[in-house]
Amino acid sequence: MDSAALTAEPLLAEAPPAALLRGTARGLEVIVDGTAALAEITGAIEKRLDEAPGFFKGSDVRLRVDNGPLPAGCLACLDELAVRYDLRIVEVTAHKPEKSDKKAKSPAHLADADAVPEPNLAAGSAPSPAFEDEAPTNSNAKIIPLPAGDLAEPVLLADADLTVVEDVPAEAGESFEDPTNTAAPLQLAATPEIPLRNEPGTRVVIGPVRSGVILEHFGHLIIFGDINPGAEVRASGNIVVLGRLRGTAHAGIGQDVGFILALRLEPQQLRIGRRVARAADSDTPASEPELAYSTGDSIIVERYQGKLPRNLATSI
Amino acid sequence: MGRAIVITSGKGGVGKTTTTANLGAALAQLGKSVVLVDADIGLRNLDVVMGLENRIVYHCVDVVNNKCTLQKALIKDRRLENLWLLPASQTDDKDAVTAEDMKNLVFELKQLHDFVIIDCPAGIEQGFKNAIAGADEAIVVATPEVSSIRDADRVVGLLAAAEIPAQLVVNRISANLVKKGDMLSQNDVIEILALDLLGAIPMDDQVIATTNKGVPAVLEGKSVAAKMYIQIAMKLCGMEVPAKEAGSLWSRLGRALGLTAEPA
Repeated sequence: MDSAALTAEPLLAEAPPAALLRGTARGLEVIVDGTAALAEITGAIEKRLDEAPGFFKGSDVRLRVDNGPLPAGCLACLDELAVRYDLRIVEVTAHKPEKSDKKAKSPAHLADADAVPEPNLAAGSAPSPAFEDEAPTNSNAKIIPLPAGDLAEPVLLADADLTVVEDVPAEAGESFEDPTNTAAPLQLAATPEIPLRNEPGTRVVIGPVRSGVILEHFGHLIIFGDINPGAEVRASGNIVVLGRLRGTAHAGIGQDVGFILALRLEPQQLRIGRRVARAADSDTPASEPELAYSTGDSIIVERYQGKLPRNLATSI
Repeated sequence: MGRAIVITSGKGGVGKTTTTANLGAALAQLGKSVVLVDADIGLRNLDVVMGLENRIVYHCVDVVNNKCTLQKALIKDRRLENLWLLPASQTDDKDAVTAEDMKNLVFELKQLHDFVIIDCPAGIEQGFKNAIAGADEAIVVATPEVSSIRDADRVVGLLAAAEIPAQLVVNRISANLVKKGDMLSQNDVIEILALDLLGAIPMDDQVIATTNKGVPAVLEGKSVAAKMYIQIAMKLCGMEVPAKEAGSLWSRLGRALGLTAEPA
């Protein structure tokens, strides 16, 4: 599986980088800024590929062009690069610039711009020796305690979360039921650096996941049973809970897209990638399966109608 | 070889000690040989609830430190022939004994008694680890409050990690409050904790009154809570518990007692 994630360079300052490389479940996504010069684009891509030579080998590449047409001759150069690094360009799409302009104005995007770079999972995907020692030798019982000190980030986040969400007017976070009611578009300063075990694929766990347990997986996570309050499940892929989700779930760690699906979604907190949401205090839980997914800067929760929105289906 | 059962809850004040005392008394009434172990070193209570506090000469820390034999430290109950208490020390703390010490202690007690009931301290630190070290099974006590359930959930996880099977006792249920929707029902608690229910003890003023007198409610007889404790004890012994029919409970129980009067 190609889901070994490679995260983007941070969006530094106002000027978007000429090219961004990002790992998705389907392979490598390259986002190119059409306004940049040809040399800038190829240079940026080359530099990134050289950082982890061989890692991308044989990957499918989806090329996304932001802000208009590519400079003349660029596609040919990219093709050449692809051959050199043994990549296949399978799709080229254009992206309307309008969205990124809008994003730049929203306060959430400012936070994004200040963001600390996300951990590069390509480099971090080999677990550190220390962590390897901590991991249980019986790989079927992989309930991995979080190394001490790792929680500093979420604590910081909780403060921001409370203040911002409290200020949100009623129409933006009263209930999880209405798809338009999104929780405040909060973002983690950076994805917590969790040394996820490098075992790509889907992991199936029989619950309940009890208070105090942190369940982590590099890939998708399916849990039969409840996730009780005080428990946390984390995955670099998507999370499906065939039971009640009453604890905290963090999907799409190190990724941009992801979803959390639960038969009963009554979480303490939901996190997808760098976004954070919590249920409104007055929220009465719905008595039907619900789906939480990321869109733009926010997390949307809606009734699960038996299928995934199209953009999410690609994240599997 | 007897069974070692630890009574635990995570949260304090939910009725661990009361449950220990009453289950112990009920099991002893059923003819079993029972020893109660107070693992709450430094904050001992079980002796007070059993009304045996002024008989303590030696305690479990003395036994561990070889200051006395185990037999010398055991206090015989003044009402029941086959009920014993191993008190905790009041002047030490939880680090005075190790998990290994407790394991040996409980193992030794199991040789001579049918049931070793261990009263676990609140919390999940050393005291908890000591208390569960020698246990074969666990009874998790939870009241129908979110805080108690949250802690119980954590403890159940820790027990599972230690491979100790656990059953649930829901304590202090008030039928009126449940009916009004102001209290979680026992089913809510079972659903969250995903454990088998051993019994649900109703809120009962009688328990408070007898506990303060140093007599387990079971020995005073008539209260609803006492009946429930006796039922739980019967379940633990693998005896059939009469379903509902409150009227015939006592007659059946009498028969059950008569049957088990001789040591099994």
